[in-house]
Amino acid sequence: MSAIERFLDELDRTLIVRGRQRLRLVAECRDHLAQSSAVHGPEDAVRRFGAASELAAEFDTEVAVRRGLAATVTNAVAVVGVGWSTLAVVHGADPHASAQVVWAVVFFGAAQVSAAALALAALRALAMRHLQGAAADVAVLCRRNVAALGFALLTLFAAAAALPGQAPAWMVLTGPALALVAGIAVARTRSLTRKLDADRSPVVRAPLVDVAVLMRASAGVRSAWVARPATVLMPALTIAVASAFAWDQLDQGTLTSSWTAAGLEAALTLTGFVLLGPALGLWSGLRVRR
Amino acid sequence: MGTNLIRGHLEGLLLAVLVDDPGHGYELGQRLALRSGGQLGVPEGSLYPALQRLERLGLVGSSWSSVEGRRRRVYALTAAGRRHASEAARDWVVFSTAVGQVLDGLA
Repeated sequence: MSAIERFLDELDRTLIVRGRQRLRLVAECRDHLAQSSAVHGPEDAVRRFGAASELAAEFDTEVAVRRGLAATVTNAVAVVGVGWSTLAVVHGADPHASAQVVWAVVFFGAAQVSAAALALAALRALAMRHLQGAAADVAVLCRRNVAALGFALLTLFAAAAALPGQAPAWMVLTGPALALVAGIAVARTRSLTRKLDADRSPVVRAPLVDVAVLMRASAGVRSAWVARPATVLMPALTIAVASAFAWDQLDQGTLTSSWTAAGLEAALTLTGFVLLGPALGLWSGLRVRR
Repeated sequence: MGTNLIRGHLEGLLLAVLVDDPGHGYELGQRLALRSGGQLGVPEGSLYPALQRLERLGLVGSSWSSVEGRRRRVYALTAAGRRHASEAARDWVVFSTAVGQVLDGLA
């Protein structure tokens, strides 16, 4: 076996990704080494090419980033689809039905967490389009996608459990069907990421840093915004409280009811931030990696 | 020159050697070596993940072409890639001047 064949054999064993992209890489490497070998000889051609393991790791990470971005698009479509199915359930409900408070709380809470997680995933994906990206970044993206999809399905479940009625089956089932497709895409990406990322402790990817990347802000601005929970929590709390207050006022609420709604919203936001923040890469929790 | 020092700038270097003409991986490696006087020492295999990143960013496009009976993936700059190459060159001049001023006299 020549040095080139040995190298390609090692590359083949080390690469994790299968399919068309892998075949393309191997074909390009084979052609490159053949050309280089004609000038420098096979041993020197392989030496100049670098280590197969490093090439494989870099290539697998790049494929993981691509899959993560594609899975986020699929997931966004699925979350919107589940939302549409939820609306179908709500509109098909018996007009005289009244929901139990617990289901109403689950419905509104899960819907908001789903929307927030989807927004965070979209922001991260947009920022990653401009960055090199690492396996840990894709892992955060996957967790945000899973949260968005999971809580969207919980919203649908809560609506169906709370409001008896009748809605066309195809409308109700469209969302879960899309969720299945998105779930497979996200799980496939997550599986690849887990193989690439030996250290699986949580990482912080502050959304404001993603905004800074999209605005092409300087590295100084980015580092000033990085990994400080308050820089995410305070604007989120302000927006949540103001929105809940304004919504209740527009709904002819009294001042007392509007402040109550704003307080509940603040409590929900804070709870969500504390419980889900580390998994969604918003703050460090107990263990953190940069 | 240290390989790690180059890695962060590999994409910019690839864009620079693609400005004049499209090329396949081996050819681009040759251009890099020629234009740097062989000083960069980039592992040639690392060009391929970097080229795929540039494709993802929409800065480079690629297609298969047949050369002397062999299929080769040929890479070319997109319009966005051409703009990005100019910006990267300007940023690099500012950055390298600043670093040069700090390190001046140590070499």
